[in-house]
Amino acid sequence: MNAGRDAVRPLLPASAIVAGAAALFATTLFLLAQPAVLTQHVGSPRLIALTHGFTLGFVTLVYLGTLQQLPAVMFVTRLVWPRLGYATLATFAAGAAVLVFGFGSGMRTVLLATGGTLVCLALGLALLQLLLTARTRPPRDAASRALITAVVYLFVTVVLGLALAAVRARPALAGTLGYDASFHQYVGLLGAFLLGIAGAGQKLLSMFALSKGGPAWRLRVMAYLVHASVLSLVLGAVVQRTVAGNAASNAASAGAWLSSLAVLALAGAAALQVWEVFALLARRLRKRLEAPVRRYVIAHAFLPVSGVLVLVGQREAATAAFLLGFVGLAVSGMLVKILSFLTWTAAYAPPFAPHSAQRAAGAPGGPSTTTTTARQPPPPPLLRDLLRPELEPVTTWGLAGGTVAAVVAMLGAWPPAATGAALLLAVGALAQVAQVVHIVIAVSRAGRTHRGARPGRPAPHGGVTS
Amino acid sequence: MTETVITELNPAVAASEVLEALGSVYDPELGVDVVNLGMVYAVSIAGSAVSVEMTLTTPGCPLHATIETHVTQTLLGLRGVQAVDVQIVWDPPWTPSSMSPVAKRALGF
Repeated sequence: MNAGRDAVRPLLPASAIVAGAAALFATTLFLLAQPAVLTQHVGSPRLIALTHGFTLGFVTLVYLGTLQQLPAVMFVTRLVWPRLGYATLATFAAGAAVLVFGFGSGMRTVLLATGGTLVCLALGLALLQLLLTARTRPPRDAASRALITAVVYLFVTVVLGLALAAVRARPALAGTLGYDASFHQYVGLLGAFLLGIAGAGQKLLSMFALSKGGPAWRLRVMAYLVHASVLSLVLGAVVQRTVAGNAASNAASAGAWLSSLAVLALAGAAALQVWEVFALLARRLRKRLEAPVRRYVIAHAFLPVSGVLVLVGQREAATAAFLLGFVGLAVSGMLVKILSFLTWTAAYAPPFAPHSAQRAAGAPGGPSTTTTTARQPPPPPLLRDLLRPELEPVTTWGLAGGTVAAVVAMLGAWPPAATGAALLLAVGALAQVAQVVHIVIAVSRAGRTHRGARPGRPAPHGGVTS
Repeated sequence: MTETVITELNPAVAASEVLEALGSVYDPELGVDVVNLGMVYAVSIAGSAVSVEMTLTTPGCPLHATIETHVTQTLLGLRGVQAVDVQIVWDPPWTPSSMSPVAKRALGF
């Protein structure tokens, strides 16, 4: 099975990744305009808009774009219905924009319902495509299974979000469904993002660091711990909500116990992810890691930070450290590598059937070529040559420094730290946008030169080719 | 490191020329050529037809088709070569021990 040749056109996922980077920059500009949002109550519409701009506009859009390419690589098969990606990404982008605008404009119900429905539809399509692809060659490795599970969780997350919007629109539903955003948050943070980064990251880090990895049990156990954590949270909430009267105090203590169990399982999962990354790095063959891969590795420093903040009861600050620091840096690092791959592949895609090729009569080097000339295409650039290296540390330290400042601002309700966080994050995101634009321009220029010089095209100045 | 198996039958091009040409095909991610990476398992030259059996570092690598094409284009550029057949195989899988000392140095060993 030739995964490479059957994969979807690389420009579709590349467009999603570029749009995701632009959404990150737009989100940081929003924060720069109103840095006080970071010190506001967690339920503030603007903070919710900001969070969804980051999680949907940046993280999930990049994630969905990657899903147009990564399953073919991970499952070593072809993507089913590749053209579905156009509908998925367009629907998702429209839905995410409407949703974020709905939050930012004061939780306008119609916008939340419309945006939420579109986002659910898009993720449902992405999940369907992924499952059908997996059915053609059921993956047996832990990384591929973690990726599939993460997309299931992502779908559940947006469905839960839509349920929250429904409760907001019809308060009568609150009695039945409740209005607890924590399921939506935990399923998204743990199930979709932690597991997704663990699954995709294991494969990508192995590829980029040339590491053969270690035993698969860590990722498997990690997935079980994430399931256990989510299940404990759900059970705890259900117990507390359904049990009343004399048994209420017992239910409260059972709920607290289950909540502690969930945190413990989460801590175990995070520790295993850090261990897995270190194990992959310890067994790597490529000693010098590239800057985007280093950023992915640095992201993992925010997992223990987030864990400590949870333990001391600072859940909002822990969420910020997890989302901006861990998820943000990990996705930001990998998107640069993935984009270089995708654009390079688009520019240098095979011009003819590569398996078995024959020289056309009169082509250079053949028996009748003594009077013919042709330009050989210049060698394609290396992927690392597509990057502007000076932008990478700006992105890494801008996003990392901004995360630290944001956590400080949330812990101390300190406005100068919020302004500093907004500034650093905006600088980091701007450098990221500049990098992705540079990659696209550099590859398209090099690709044009390459195609222009390919044998088989008329050479300028009357040169004769095949 | 990988020992490339060479088979020749009335070759129109020398095996050394083929290997030298393959040395100009780079893995764009690693920045090392496919010969030094130990990806080329076998080269057969029968008259003006060249067959190459090679592997890649990762099954399902997105650069699969592109590297295959560059190998083909490069060999078709050799005088005397009329047809090229490239087979990507996964058995035996590529391992670090396949690399030459040059590749290991380039990757930071």
